[in-house]
Amino acid sequence: MASISGPPVVRQASPTADPASVPAATQPVVPRRTAPRTRRWSALLWVAPAFGMYAVFVLFPMAQSVQYSFYDWDGIGPATPAGLDNWKAIFTRPELLHSVEHAFILVIFYTVLPVGLGLVAASLIRELRPGAFSTTARVVLFIPQVLPLVAAGIAWTWMYSSDGLVNQVLRAVGLEQHTRAWLSDFTFALPAVGVIGVWVMLGFCTVLLLAGIGKIDPALYEAARLDGAGRISEFFAVTLPGLRRELVVCTTFTMIAALASFDVIQISTQGGPGYQTMVPGVEIYRLTFLQQHVGQASALAVFLAALVLVVIWPIQRLGREK
Amino acid sequence: MRSLTQYRGIVRVAAIAAAAALLLAACAPGGNSEAGPAPTRQASTGVGSEPVTLRLLVNSGVDVPFYTALGELFHAKYDNVTVKVENQDYATLTTNIAHILAGSNVPDLVRVSQLGNLIEDHLLTGLDPYAKAYGWDQWPQSQFASTRVGPDGKQRGTGSLYAAGAGFGLTGVYYNKALAQRIGMTRPPATVAEFEQLLAKAKDAGLQPIMINGKDGGSVYPLQNLVMSSAGDAQAVQDWNYAKPGASIDNAATVKAATSLQRWGQAGYLPADVNDIDQTRAPAEFVKGNGVFFPSGNWQAPALDKAGAGQFGFFLFPSGETGGPSYAMTAPANLGIPAKSPHADVAAAFLDFVQTNSQARQDTVTLGGLVPAGPSEAAAPTAPEGSAVAATVGSFQELLKSNGLVGFMADATASIHVNSLIPQTQLLLAGKTTPEAFAAKVQSDYERDLGQ
Repeated sequence: MASISGPPVVRQASPTADPASVPAATQPVVPRRTAPRTRRWSALLWVAPAFGMYAVFVLFPMAQSVQYSFYDWDGIGPATPAGLDNWKAIFTRPELLHSVEHAFILVIFYTVLPVGLGLVAASLIRELRPGAFSTTARVVLFIPQVLPLVAAGIAWTWMYSSDGLVNQVLRAVGLEQHTRAWLSDFTFALPAVGVIGVWVMLGFCTVLLLAGIGKIDPALYEAARLDGAGRISEFFAVTLPGLRRELVVCTTFTMIAALASFDVIQISTQGGPGYQTMVPGVEIYRLTFLQQHVGQASALAVFLAALVLVVIWPIQRLGREK
Repeated sequence: MRSLTQYRGIVRVAAIAAAAALLLAACAPGGNSEAGPAPTRQASTGVGSEPVTLRLLVNSGVDVPFYTALGELFHAKYDNVTVKVENQDYATLTTNIAHILAGSNVPDLVRVSQLGNLIEDHLLTGLDPYAKAYGWDQWPQSQFASTRVGPDGKQRGTGSLYAAGAGFGLTGVYYNKALAQRIGMTRPPATVAEFEQLLAKAKDAGLQPIMINGKDGGSVYPLQNLVMSSAGDAQAVQDWNYAKPGASIDNAATVKAATSLQRWGQAGYLPADVNDIDQTRAPAEFVKGNGVFFPSGNWQAPALDKAGAGQFGFFLFPSGETGGPSYAMTAPANLGIPAKSPHADVAAAFLDFVQTNSQARQDTVTLGGLVPAGPSEAAAPTAPEGSAVAATVGSFQELLKSNGLVGFMADATASIHVNSLIPQTQLLLAGKTTPEAFAAKVQSDYERDLGQ
């Protein structure tokens, strides 16, 4: 045994084995052994208060949710073990599965479009000279982030109604035959809700990307231009690579918003018409507060959280590379 | 300086240990609720002479001035009792009621929109002893059916009484008198067939035959009425509402009703954007003259009278055949006495007072927009001749005697309305489901909700 792997002390003493411990290798043997240990425990002591809060307010409720998902419980009375029934239901009840499907369609509207349009808007605003116009453009794009989503949802519901602004505009430009009650149209309800998401997320993405562009070394742009790069190639050669971190933040944030969306749907369509705009967030709310099926709601919530993690993880990896 | 990641192993072990410890400490969730029947109280009819503050928790909005007025009337009669009205908005109260009643700061009377698991969890006081002491058991009993709950805590319409209310909601069909005259309607239709003829006439006259809110469930009212009139009987629906074992609406009557409603949609009797119209827009459109008929409830009547006194009439949904029974959906504005209420006797006295005192009954109509029930010999409150309110009050008294009051299918389970009836009716009206599939799906959702 010892002849194969060698005692750990010997390995650590070798400077090449662990570059981090190079200074320690020059120290006498005894202090080197005890110092990290005391530091180790004092480090944990420093972490303890934060970890305590984290455990009480995050880890404990999370563990509870997982636990509830294996019970049949109404939130008040006695709970009965339900085995895997709540989990099976997620995959066997078409409404629950469809709601997850809708959440992914919303990703197009909450993530793909805002990040794409945000890149375009940020590049355009960068070229504007700082002044009244560029400030106004920024403010206008960012305003949806400031407004409460519930208020925005109600306003959008009015705009989408049969005689709302959207249809008035269509009539005014002679597209009478395309007018419809958008939020109760079986084909267009989900995209219509999605557009609200684009409107909300676009400002956030633009402002964040604009801040990112501001940090890119101007010399790079100058060099690109000297090399004869046009606007398009400048965008792909300088702007896009320089925004890697910001893009990861934007994508992560908006994807979570899409997959866990609740307020806009609850206000504008309540999942209708039919089940056309039902999303997991609304399902979880109904299961918990309306039907008092805390177990089933927990299972769907844990499933949703896991799903979010699975989707977000590769994006985070992408951001960390290099 | 070493980073924490080097202690990842230790941290991980600590986290897992902490999580496991927390899990073990938690054990099974809930579970301290004892099995067996709810503790029964000694019922006493007096309010005593000690000063008492009776706390009422009701919904925000119309409820507040209404119950405040009732409280003042009660205080005028029993000056040692002060009624304090607190309110929470409907959605908040509905979602929090179980936790409020299980907590330590419990009101003496609470507005109960849905009984849910409140009985199973022993959160409401059984009212049978009070019903006996105050003689409620001598009144027409159909008014109490929806708040009787069986020993299993689920089946309604039988068992002990758990809530009672000052007044009732009632559905029917409003009509615009001027437009109805234009299509030659001289009296309310006696049968569904007659009603359909009127709808066709309205369509031919270029009018919108029916105004209704399909976005949030208004179209479920005519559907339920059609189910009952095509069956010629409301027992099956009532059993279904009350979760009677084996109850089913996956039958010929429902398929026929769904077929009719779908046909109404295709024939243009319903607004083209029916699924987009909500309960605020529908009455507003109806008042503007967009719609000859408006199937809805008596809660709309005071506003309709205000918008145009004497312009709007009300009739009960017609029966399937000439001389057949009429039915209407009804639900009481229930108040329950929390099991932890310190003044249950006074609360029960208040419940008796609001159902029997003539001024309170009048306030129920004028302030609450509801029809009082109570003893059969009690005088009906007055309303101006020819008003929509007067018509709803008259219809209610008639149905109370003929046993034509039926609960809302929407109340059968906590989520049947939002999760099944509304989306399925929308699919039906959009032609995206068949009447047969409609009946089967609503029934299977219902069975799942009840855990059958």
